[in-house]
Amino acid sequence: MNNTLNFNDVNHKLLKTALRIRTVEEKFLQLFSEGKLNGTVHTCVGQEFSAIAFAGQLKKRDFIFSNHRCHGHYIAFTGDVRGLLAELLGKKSGTCGGIGSSQHLCHNNFYSNGIQGGIVPVAAGYALANKLKKANAVGVVFIGDGTLGEGALYETMNIISKWEIPLLIVCENNFYAQSTAQKTNLAGDILSRPEAFGIKTWKGDTWNPDQLMKTAAEAIDYVREGVKPGFFLVETYRLNAHSKGDDDRDTEEVKAYTERDYINQFKRDSLSYYNNYHGTITEEIDGLVTEILAEEELPIQDYFEVQDEVKNDRWQQIEPIAKRQVELLNQFFKEQIVNDDRMVFLGEDILSPYGGAFKVARDLSFLKPDRVFSTPISEAAITGIANGLALNGLKPIAEIMFGDFITLAFDQIVNHASKFHHMFNKKIKCPVVVRTPMGGNRGYGPTHSQTLDKFLIGIDNVKTVALNTFIDPGIVYKSIYREEHPVVVIENKVDYGKKILHNALKNYRYERSESDFPVVRISPAISEPTLTIVAYGGMADMVAGILEQIFIETDHKAELIVPTLISQLPIDVIKESASRTGSLVVIEEGSPVGGIGSELIASIMESSDHYIKAKRIASLPVPIPSVKSLENIVLPDKNRIIREIAENFN
Amino acid sequence: MGLLQEIKVPLIAVNDTSLTVVEISHANGDHVQKGTTVMVFETSKTTYNVEAEVDGFINYLCEVGSDYEVNDIVARIFSGKEEADTATIPPAELQPPAVHHQNGQTIAAAWTGITIFSNGAKKLMEESKLNTEAFAGRDFVNLTDVESLLGIRKTPAAPKTAAAKQVSAKEQELPVPANSTKVKLTGSKKREIEYLGKVQSTGLTSTINTHVETDGIFIHINNALAVLKNSLLPVIVYETSRLLKIYPLLNGYFSGDSIILYNDVNIGFAIDIDKGLKVLNVRNADTKQLSIIENEIVDLSTKYLDDKLAVEELTEISFTITDLSGEDVSFFRPLVNMQNSAILGVSSIDQKLQRLYLSMSFDHRVTEGKLVAQFLKDLKNRLESYRGNGGKTLTSTITCFKCAKRLSEDLSDTGFAKVLTPSGEEAYICQSCFKGF
Repeated sequence: MNNTLNFNDVNHKLLKTALRIRTVEEKFLQLFSEGKLNGTVHTCVGQEFSAIAFAGQLKKRDFIFSNHRCHGHYIAFTGDVRGLLAELLGKKSGTCGGIGSSQHLCHNNFYSNGIQGGIVPVAAGYALANKLKKANAVGVVFIGDGTLGEGALYETMNIISKWEIPLLIVCENNFYAQSTAQKTNLAGDILSRPEAFGIKTWKGDTWNPDQLMKTAAEAIDYVREGVKPGFFLVETYRLNAHSKGDDDRDTEEVKAYTERDYINQFKRDSLSYYNNYHGTITEEIDGLVTEILAEEELPIQDYFEVQDEVKNDRWQQIEPIAKRQVELLNQFFKEQIVNDDRMVFLGEDILSPYGGAFKVARDLSFLKPDRVFSTPISEAAITGIANGLALNGLKPIAEIMFGDFITLAFDQIVNHASKFHHMFNKKIKCPVVVRTPMGGNRGYGPTHSQTLDKFLIGIDNVKTVALNTFIDPGIVYKSIYREEHPVVVIENKVDYGKKILHNALKNYRYERSESDFPVVRISPAISEPTLTIVAYGGMADMVAGILEQIFIETDHKAELIVPTLISQLPIDVIKESASRTGSLVVIEEGSPVGGIGSELIASIMESSDHYIKAKRIASLPVPIPSVKSLENIVLPDKNRIIREIAENFN
Repeated sequence: MGLLQEIKVPLIAVNDTSLTVVEISHANGDHVQKGTTVMVFETSKTTYNVEAEVDGFINYLCEVGSDYEVNDIVARIFSGKEEADTATIPPAELQPPAVHHQNGQTIAAAWTGITIFSNGAKKLMEESKLNTEAFAGRDFVNLTDVESLLGIRKTPAAPKTAAAKQVSAKEQELPVPANSTKVKLTGSKKREIEYLGKVQSTGLTSTINTHVETDGIFIHINNALAVLKNSLLPVIVYETSRLLKIYPLLNGYFSGDSIILYNDVNIGFAIDIDKGLKVLNVRNADTKQLSIIENEIVDLSTKYLDDKLAVEELTEISFTITDLSGEDVSFFRPLVNMQNSAILGVSSIDQKLQRLYLSMSFDHRVTEGKLVAQFLKDLKNRLESYRGNGGKTLTSTITCFKCAKRLSEDLSDTGFAKVLTPSGEEAYICQSCFKGF
């Protein structure tokens, strides 16, 4: 191990860059111990040449996705030491205003996120966008050997290989997942994994930097020229703890690698050069730190703005449309995909002639074959790729075949799509659209019938929209399409086959607000309502159909309000109605605890000066049975709704 | 070229849903400069000048003397003269809507479709042998509607349609007889009718009177007052405001199924000298010294005469006092203002009897006669306590009008007599002068 470096063979430029990364990180540890850094740092001391070999050899138009251990990658790719120092010191001038700190950086095509595995499909989507734009740009996504435990990685390797996406996955194998040795939790061989997906692989290590540089350049060229994915395994060793103090590794082992470390060897062999280089770099960094410590932090108002409430504005009468909801949806997407090159449609089983499980995507792949992607069964990767496409300027529409499967995409919605804009201090936007059908009454049983909307409201910066049968879905989708931030759209399986305002009752008025996400109001023709009902999605159609029956049996002249944007309910419209009637019923297809009804009633009570009697009607809190008789009981059916209204409001 | 500014009827006071245009300052097509007054509205409280926000050419969409609803567009300013000259047709949204909009809801004028009856309604109709025709023109009829028709329920659940808003100053118009002249009500009179109508039209107001002995009352009061000598108003405002803290029901109003109690005591005093009847607000009177209350009454009255009152000096009044003592009034029945539960009337002092009447009208939905009687008794006691010497005349100031001898210098032990002087004034005379030596 203790071979001596031949001074003339050392690439001094490379060494200085590595030393620069190491000096910055050692400064971080020092500042941390002095209490000047908030949170945490993960240093890559010992691994620097991996960063330089890949991040340092990319072009400006290329991109990088990195992970929690990203300082080296960042400096090698952007050269922005000052931005990084200020970021970790929590200053406004930091690369993300101090919001992201060590693990969440974003600057000139460099992105990092602290979630293991989730960045891989996002990087794949970003690379796919480059390919679609014919940008001749490649991307590198850095993972660690610990990330080999994440499923999203394998979903993505399958897809990038199949779709020939120009992405190089660099796995930095430092033999430990946090403090756990690789032999404890990794089965099989690392390179056999990408090879099984038909992905070309390379291998190198950080103890022979020149060789690593050469092989890395070869791999990058292959990905760029061949427009194909690659997988590069870099063997390396982290000389410091995972983060700061959490290190139980054998001290002898650490010592041996410390001696083997290239920079340390150089220091031993050419101390005066080392001292010269180190001195210059240290002086520069100390100067920067002194300057940055005196700077301002980001004020909260630059970070968080209170969103305006949805306001009751102008109303117009609703006219029926003699087309089924699914036809109108299909029509919207067909027009959009033909007219807008940014649109990408992806999901399972969506190629025509099949056109998706519910036929929303019918003919899309005939019209624009290169913008429609039928995916493997990989919800996390579908959503992650959609996120990456959105970050790279396209407008992805991702379809999750059944609403129940959206839980598999949850990490991408909550930890990626939702957080990107703010954690990168508003430098980027992620206008992804995820659509999925929910709802029962089709006998599909426990895992294909549930309405999970309550898990989808309350995700920061994500809008949740529920379609209904009173508004042309094209109108709603136009607004969704214009959104600059993520939107999850809940469609309804039963509603797909219904026409817009198909069975209007004569004694009611049907109006909708003219807001971006219209609110529908169905009121007695001339009578003053005595009960306010709120229902949305599939329940709205069902309740609208029984308004007369509710009246005849309960004596209540009900006004039905149907929100479309359920993540930001039209409190003013509902409150106005409920203040007049004094009675409010919320009907939802999900189960009641922590649901939309709970949220709505709480919001109304918070701001109302009147006493309003309120009631939630929802599904029973059990999986939805397939057998018809039980499914009817578990879901809110018309008899139960009428009975509960009669019991609670007379 | 184009539209630069739309002038809408402003919301100046919450209760003024419509305002009267009292002045149009230019002719259509005139050039107006930013900052110049283009028109004047009259509110129930004051007048309000509208200024141009831009330079341009004006086009009015309103007439002097007419009422316009808040947010109606009444004038527009254009960049070009031709547009202002020709733009005589109001924009579409100005056209009176065929259906009435309320809270964004469209309410059809009448229902010609079928009527749906609830099971509850049907049952009662059968029992009462009521025909469905009784409900022609309804969309839905429930049990409550049937009960209302049968008089079982006191408050009819009649639909709150457009007609509900008609409960206002507008009475049905009758033809004008030949030998008479029709004088249009002013906007402020119409609103006055509407405001007073709100409480009085329920027929549930009542008035209680009490008298206050005023003999010698001004001796101390006049010492404390700088300007308003021989006026009881400042003291009445002072004492009433403090009493209202003890009688919170009289410092509030009836609303729906509740009573709203004001936290602050803002005493309004009615004034009507050439400039129309207005009620001026002495804010937080219960926290102010007598001299400050006097100053404010003087200041507000001066502003009233100079037409310089601000809206906040006319609004948020929690209790009203109307002082007709200067008008030789024996006693009267004041009317309770909207969003008040009571009003205090002050009549003139009867110089012979040395007493005046206080009259308090109140909203019986808020309180009862007993509480008001108690309030008046307390107020009377407080006012009478100002009388020098507990009602006895202060002797040191009494002098004989003929010889200027002080009562304290009278050695006869008979006292002075009260007489009328040849000029008709009340005065005192000593024994010596009376007997003529």
